[in-house]
Amino acid sequence: MSILFLGTSSGCGKTTVCAMMCRYLHNRGFDVAPFKASNLSLNSVATSDGCEIGMAQAFQALASGIEPDADMNPVLFKPSGDRRMQLMVNGKPCMEVNETAHADHGMLVRTVRDAYSRLESKHDVILCEGSGSPAEINLFATDIANTGLMKSIGVPAVLVCDIDRGGAFAAIYGTWRLIPNELKPKMKGFIINRFRGDIRLLGDSLQSMEELTGMKCLGILRYERLKFPDEDSLIISRGYLSGDDANEAFLLNLDTMISHAEEDGFDFDSLMKYIGLN
Amino acid sequence: MDCMRKKVNEEIKRGWIGSNCECPYHPAHFTHQDCSWCYCPFFPCNDRTFGCEVETKHGPVWDCTDCLFIHRTDVCKFIYEEIDRLGIEDANDTRFKDIFESAKKKYWKKGKALMVVGATSDAGKTVTVTALCRILHDRGYLVAPFKAQNMSLNSKVTLFGEEIALAQDLQAKAAGLKNPDSHMNPILLKPKGDCVSQVIICGKPFKDYDAETYYSEFVDEVGIGIVKEQMEFLKDRYDFVIMEGAGSPAEINIYDKDIANMRAAEIADADVILVINAEFGGSFGYAVGTIKLIPESDRKRIKGIVMNNVRGDPKCFGAGISTLEEITGVPVIGIIPHADVNLPKEDSESLRSSEQGSGPLIGVIKFPHIANFTDLDPLLLENVRIRYIEKPEDFLGVAAIILPGTKNTISDLNWMKEKGIANSVLKFKGRGPILGICGGYQMMGKTLDDSEGLENGEKKVYEGLGLLDNTTRFPSYDKCIRRDQGKLNIGDLGEFTGYELHMGISEVNEKPLFTIEKMFGDPEQEGSVREDEKLYGTYMHGLFDKPSFRRHFVSVMKNDFTENCPAKDYDASVEENIQKLADIFEKNLDMKTIMALLGVNE
Repeated sequence: MSILFLGTSSGCGKTTVCAMMCRYLHNRGFDVAPFKASNLSLNSVATSDGCEIGMAQAFQALASGIEPDADMNPVLFKPSGDRRMQLMVNGKPCMEVNETAHADHGMLVRTVRDAYSRLESKHDVILCEGSGSPAEINLFATDIANTGLMKSIGVPAVLVCDIDRGGAFAAIYGTWRLIPNELKPKMKGFIINRFRGDIRLLGDSLQSMEELTGMKCLGILRYERLKFPDEDSLIISRGYLSGDDANEAFLLNLDTMISHAEEDGFDFDSLMKYIGLN
Repeated sequence: MDCMRKKVNEEIKRGWIGSNCECPYHPAHFTHQDCSWCYCPFFPCNDRTFGCEVETKHGPVWDCTDCLFIHRTDVCKFIYEEIDRLGIEDANDTRFKDIFESAKKKYWKKGKALMVVGATSDAGKTVTVTALCRILHDRGYLVAPFKAQNMSLNSKVTLFGEEIALAQDLQAKAAGLKNPDSHMNPILLKPKGDCVSQVIICGKPFKDYDAETYYSEFVDEVGIGIVKEQMEFLKDRYDFVIMEGAGSPAEINIYDKDIANMRAAEIADADVILVINAEFGGSFGYAVGTIKLIPESDRKRIKGIVMNNVRGDPKCFGAGISTLEEITGVPVIGIIPHADVNLPKEDSESLRSSEQGSGPLIGVIKFPHIANFTDLDPLLLENVRIRYIEKPEDFLGVAAIILPGTKNTISDLNWMKEKGIANSVLKFKGRGPILGICGGYQMMGKTLDDSEGLENGEKKVYEGLGLLDNTTRFPSYDKCIRRDQGKLNIGDLGEFTGYELHMGISEVNEKPLFTIEKMFGDPEQEGSVREDEKLYGTYMHGLFDKPSFRRHFVSVMKNDFTENCPAKDYDASVEENIQKLADIFEKNLDMKTIMALLGVNE
């Protein structure tokens, strides 16, 4: 049982929405774990068995009430400047990637699939997060975290979009349109994130989007001033799950976000159905 | 009139002089203008393409303040040739009428408009228009920027005392224009909170609207007419009008009511280019979605896509570009690399602390309705760091405090008290300079009297911070909008320039900070200062632009009065950055296509 949260751009709120859903299901007694096939980040944390994973997945593990695990983020690229990156595989340094040295695509696909199966055997529900936008047509061939993951494990997806930046309808429609046709049936719904202003102004435009794409609008999440660990924050990388106040504060914020979503009529039921929970 | 005829006679005798860079008023209208006819030989031409009749207390007068036709070099040269050919010696010669007609026939042509829309806010519309204005100006054209409707809290005051958005002011400067005016931004929305905005029309406050009534009542009844009228006005006077859209043009929920994007393009009969900020990721999705969601009849106006702010190798887009062109049928006409240019920022999304470096830290209170925060940009010319303060803990380590401008003084004053920030400011007193600008200045006083309820809705008198012995009243909906210049009353007594934009009047019982010099009449005193307590307050926006006050403020903060490295002029730095930006765009944009869209085949 799983779902993939895709985003129309970087920074649209995939990580937070995925963390919120981890927390929502954990609070309801489900055994849930986060998964991001491939991460590009300098902010990472150490797992208890000495592996390194992206900070966002550690945060989502916190929301799921479990310890971070190398299988939650099997591929991690750490930029080291000058177009060089350190490639971490299964939480351990693997190789130096640069303009001439590329990682073997087949190896990465296998790594992701194996880590996902191990994680699936340990937990009931897997909530996956995509990377950047899934509609980067120049990267389709080498993608392992978005359409690549949909192909390799057959996971259904929902699309998260940041409306505060403007152009949300275009982003949702354009992203959906560029998803390869054979994967379009797997695109189940979309989520509008960071909405502020007068909701009446949206009129029947959400319905038009549903008709145009066949995806269901799962809800509109309001613009939150809550603090979550973001790419620039270092706070979660210290004292992980040791009852640190910062972590408790993050969880409280997630709970606030869930209750706001419930107030605003977010369609948790349909999302649960797409995940395969009835 | 006789006096003017005498001047024209002198100009006839003098002959063609081109640009008169020696003149203290040069360039009065635009860079490289032709000054041969400082006094127009055709006045009054009574041609409504160039001016109109206005009522004054002396009766109707022909007003052609905005006409630039007589300052075109080809026109000036043509007039002298005709004068020679016809042997005209006197300004009263009736044949000037014929010269005017043939000059208009030969050299006047209705301007052409081109529009830049963006896939999102912050896509790079403003910089693209700025760059195009400069590139075309450098190629010798008369160019005007235009944004039908702008929502922004950062505005500037024009020479005529009108309020326009900061971005259009900047773009006009990029176009070499000395007097940006409200025709370039006829509708300005200044958000006041709770979905309500103050609507400024042609530079003057019109009315407050909430979003729903703005779309249901204002747009069709008033808005469209204004956009049409102002667009015609600019097309009559400029070769090109470079238009900027607002937000995304593909917001299907307000598509029919949106007068800032495709509807404005239709009114102006403009071709459109779409700019996308590649840094966000998802550029292809945004491009395809924006173009496809726009109805067919409008879509055909979109003639090019510009990928902006591209980091890394442009080749990384690879085959993606040709696939995108195939799907949308629109060519990609530019891939613009990320550029480190430092220009005034418009939207609050761009509000960022700048804490890198080692200089002293300035704490700026981040009011919920913070406005005109571009006042602070010039501080980055000094070795200082800026932090936006939202809670008492943020005060740690700051060496100075600035209370910036706000769109709602009283609501933000209450916010500051509730958050405990007001207390922290009071505790800071004496430790370093505290400066209040506009709304922040009003808060520094003893009382704020809103007994008419005009500022915050509730009829009430509020207690200020009491740092200064001043009282502010909000007796009417009037707004003070004006540009000032003069001298500092402290420090090196150097010059300042600035502008005022405020509701409310303050009764000041402090030593004034500035002396405003007037072209006519006595100088005026403005602001408040207590040098011993390091307290400063003023209505003057832009007060850091000139080095004098800025250096004083920074030196008080550093407790160091001996610094004498030369200070940079902010205007010069803006000019430098405009040129840098224009160069990057010119190099990476398919200018041949742009010129063809403007009707010029090179």
